Amino acid sequence: MEGISQNEPASAVIPFDLDAAFLLYPVRHHSPACAYQLIKTAELYRPDVILIEGPENANELIPVLTDERTRLPAAIYYYYKDKKKHISPEGEDFRCYYPFLKSSPEYNAMAFAKKSGIPAFFIDLPYSEILINTKHDKGLLKGDKHSYADDSRLTRGQFYMALCEKTGIRSFEEFWEKYFEIEGLYKTPEEFVRAMHTYCALARKDTPAEELKADATLIREQHMAFNIKEAMKIYKRVLVVTGGFHSPGLYERLTGGEIKPVKPHSVPKDCTGCFPAAYSYEAADALHGYASGMSYPFFYDSVFERVCAQKSPVGAYSAQVLDMLAACAKKCKEQELPVAISDVTAAHTLIGGLAALRNIPEGGIYELLDGVTSCMIKGERTVSTSLPIDILKKLLTGDGVGHIGDTAHTPPLIADFEKHCELYKLKFNSAIRQEVEVSLFKTERALGLSRFMHRMAFLGTGFCERIKGADLHSGKDKSRVREVWRYRRSPQVDSLLIDRTAEGFTIEEACTSLASKRLKEARRFDVAAKTAVDCFLCGIELPDAHRRMTDILTSDGDLLSVGKGLRYFSVLYDLSRLYDYDSSMTLSLMQMCFERLLGSLGQLINLPDEQAGECIEILRHLYGLIDTRFNDRRDELYAALCDMSAASQKNPAVYGAVMGLMYAFEESNRTLAQSAMRGYLSGTQEIKKQGSKFMRGLFTAARDIVFADSTFIEMADKLIVSMSSDDFMEVLPDLRLAFTGFTPQEIQRTARAVAEIYGGSGDSILYEQAIDEGLFEFGSALDRELALCFEREDK
Amino acid sequence: MQQFIKPPVEIRYKEELDMLRFADDGRKPENWVLSPKMVRTFILGGEVDTKDGKEKISRKFYGNDALVERAIITLAGSRGLMLVGEPGTAKTMLSELMCAAICGVSTNTVQGTAGTTEDMIKYSWNYALLLSKGPCREALVPSPLLVGMEKGIIARFEEITRTPAEIQDSLISVMSDQILNIPELGDEGLVLARPGFNIIGTANTRDKGVNEMSGALKRRFNFETVEPVKDVRLEKEIIVKEAQDLAAAGHIDAPIDTDVAELLAVTYHELREGMTAEGTVVAKPDAVMSTAEAVSVYYQTISHAWYYGSGRVSLDVLTQSLLGAVCKENKDDLEKLRSYFRVAVKEKSSREGGLWKEYLKTSPLLR
Repeated sequence: MEGISQNEPASAVIPFDLDAAFLLYPVRHHSPACAYQLIKTAELYRPDVILIEGPENANELIPVLTDERTRLPAAIYYYYKDKKKHISPEGEDFRCYYPFLKSSPEYNAMAFAKKSGIPAFFIDLPYSEILINTKHDKGLLKGDKHSYADDSRLTRGQFYMALCEKTGIRSFEEFWEKYFEIEGLYKTPEEFVRAMHTYCALARKDTPAEELKADATLIREQHMAFNIKEAMKIYKRVLVVTGGFHSPGLYERLTGGEIKPVKPHSVPKDCTGCFPAAYSYEAADALHGYASGMSYPFFYDSVFERVCAQKSPVGAYSAQVLDMLAACAKKCKEQELPVAISDVTAAHTLIGGLAALRNIPEGGIYELLDGVTSCMIKGERTVSTSLPIDILKKLLTGDGVGHIGDTAHTPPLIADFEKHCELYKLKFNSAIRQEVEVSLFKTERALGLSRFMHRMAFLGTGFCERIKGADLHSGKDKSRVREVWRYRRSPQVDSLLIDRTAEGFTIEEACTSLASKRLKEARRFDVAAKTAVDCFLCGIELPDAHRRMTDILTSDGDLLSVGKGLRYFSVLYDLSRLYDYDSSMTLSLMQMCFERLLGSLGQLINLPDEQAGECIEILRHLYGLIDTRFNDRRDELYAALCDMSAASQKNPAVYGAVMGLMYAFEESNRTLAQSAMRGYLSGTQEIKKQGSKFMRGLFTAARDIVFADSTFIEMADKLIVSMSSDDFMEVLPDLRLAFTGFTPQEIQRTARAVAEIYGGSGDSILYEQAIDEGLFEFGSALDRELALCFEREDK
Repeated sequence: MQQFIKPPVEIRYKEELDMLRFADDGRKPENWVLSPKMVRTFILGGEVDTKDGKEKISRKFYGNDALVERAIITLAGSRGLMLVGEPGTAKTMLSELMCAAICGVSTNTVQGTAGTTEDMIKYSWNYALLLSKGPCREALVPSPLLVGMEKGIIARFEEITRTPAEIQDSLISVMSDQILNIPELGDEGLVLARPGFNIIGTANTRDKGVNEMSGALKRRFNFETVEPVKDVRLEKEIIVKEAQDLAAAGHIDAPIDTDVAELLAVTYHELREGMTAEGTVVAKPDAVMSTAEAVSVYYQTISHAWYYGSGRVSLDVLTQSLLGAVCKENKDDLEKLRSYFRVAVKEKSSREGGLWKEYLKTSPLLR
């Protein structure tokens, strides 16, 4: 880079010479302007070979990507299993995608080569070598980096911030769209390439050399330059298509002295590889967050198609913007948002005006977003009024999914998936959602099918969803022996399965590997126990699980987590025989949990209110276990509860539950519970409010105490009557929860008792004033909306 | 200019407007004084060519530049512009700046209140003349809206949502047809709007006593939400600049202490966002924590120092002024402010020391 300075721009150093032996063409990934100008450049240069930045171990997949049956977006999926521990002592698995859209310059380079009957090759280091040569937490080893294409050097850093400030533009993307995407279409190939070289060289100047070494940029460039030199020995005219950031580095090497080949590390064959994979616009858009390509890929793909179809950039952006505006208005209408034709017209005029004000030949995405913001959002811009913008962004991103035409390269995990679908006679080639019913214990095959479905769900493929059957995670309906599954194989299932290839080549192997990873990462016992439930459902066994679970249990300082874990294992123990599951580990862990909780119950009595519910469930569960599994520990639990009740600081709800359980042990303890409640009633208003929490705990643990005599009903009545309406509203949730566990008969019995206090007859409570129909409908609608909101939040 | 408390924008920035007019060679909508590009430069700052070389135009509105561009283009079209947002976010200032740059008049304004009537929006009569001469043009008292239509300039409608909804709706026919009919004047009573006429409305979304706008009226406006300044550094700059202007207008010749301005900017920013720069969650007061409020607190503090103190800003007075600005409506706001001092100011004082330490010492004044 020494040769490139501010006085001597990169465009002057890196030539655009159509007669030279090689021509460096700089790109930004998924940029339609780069792709359009690349085609024009290639037509002018007429290369004998095209060399493209990309791991060279995927060269055999180039014909698959350019096959007529392949529909974009598609990607190359690379994986590497670091069994030889070249990268870290942990021996992790790595994977990444190299996506291609219609507007990707790299894809267009391959397509041009095919059309012209010339070869095209990838020239970068193999994926494994890039990783091995990258320093920890840099480049492709940085965080969750799952994309090979990396534009971060071009799109982040001080350089672009200074540019945005200078040009008065909000973001880098807007800057890029204005100066490169829109204006770039109107330039000649030479002007465009020079502008790209200048921009990229200045961005590179901003990057320290040690950074370039740490993220493997330098060694990759050495390898690419070596490959270019080798190609120049065979071909006369070599077109090189790489990320613009690499061009200055490559040029310096190509015009310098001898280039040494990079010595590869020894990597076993089965530890690394690549497959073609269907990809989606949504996934491509998400990659933008990692500076790997541009946002709103559908919009840019459509613009590129228009430019290519009309063989001119004039009007392409305007036409696409208008299309998107109309589509957005239509979608808004469908969602009953108040958008009128006049809004669309006003937005269109505004977009044109903004483009003129900003000196752009045609309005692009940012003018479109501005138009919709001004003309379609009525009132203050908030989350709820911004729906038109959300709709527009979704449209700009697109929801299309690609398809790989050549099936000869089916990835192993998909092959295993298809094999199992055939074995269980699942209609996996249909686009229509299917349903299958599984009677779990009728045949061995049925249990196998259930496990296969659970495995697919565990891998997060989105292939299937259980709509009926036991839910062992929540402990609901655990005795159900029939499951109903809904399933459909969408392109996303394939891409997610490919994503799991790093974890194994069969579904079982991938599940085992994923579960082991989760167990290894788990710090809380409840998380580990949840993984044990997953393994149970999937029918997989983890090596060394018992030791790991024991370690987590002993190191987990949160008793609530231990209690929750105990509940998971109790469910597994109860079902182990039915599911033909080895229960020895389960029982041993249950014993350890029981011991641990029994010894520390005193710590639970003064928990904060938000944890009280969980604590009460644990106490009830412990009581349930002494009735079944651990009845020899009965006296110890009773003594521990007595100690809890004697503590000086108590959470009222937990205290209530303790009193309830003590009553369950010994009926005479009822008087203790009554006097505790009286204590709350005779306190200040704040203490009285705590009485409702006490009742909640008490009735949750032992609701039959209500019916032993009328004392508690009377006390509850006294509590409610003594409160102002504001205080009553405050304690209402607790009071409701206190009676949640009551059966309808018990509620009726309670209501009768209340009616009697006020001199009402038994049946009078069955009648009340009719509720207004409209109000009832409003309440129902509100309930439905809230339920939907909660569902969304849960997801 | 100095004899007014607050001179209109077109007078205050006359020099800059003249320079822009001189340098303007851009395309202008009919009757506009400046082209949209120059209006943008006037509001967001930049450089222009003058006879004496390049001259700097100061930035007057901080925050969202794209919003300003959208607003300018909206005004060049057929729709009105409605600026909405929390109080103190410079909506009024922005509308004044745009009016001054577009038509050279920023004072053609209707002030919306609960007592605004249709007469104030359309027209009323000089009753003495009306009785003596009957309904004639001479007896007519035109409203700012009518003035705007006749002269082809912008009419501002401040606090439109304070006006009852049925009164607001009297704008609908004017905005749709660009015609105002004065039936009392017979054939001469039809006023057609001249090119350049438009309306800028402002409405705040948080105050009590605001009326919802009808859907029909909303359709005739493009809405722009002016948000509080998100960047603390920028907020500090605004406080310093505005306080300097206010001090100059009030003949207070004290230097502006930028460190204290920063302290105040951070306090306002963190209380507004409900989170400190260190990531600690703090309770948001119910009071409006706008930059305009912060400027007022700061100006109060420097005034106090100028008239009663040594001229140097006292943090005691700053905290007392802050107390007065924050604890207005809700009694819980005092506790929230105290808790901010206990948590955030304490944390900063132990980490950064200096001024924050002194600031923490003033916390007993919060009572």
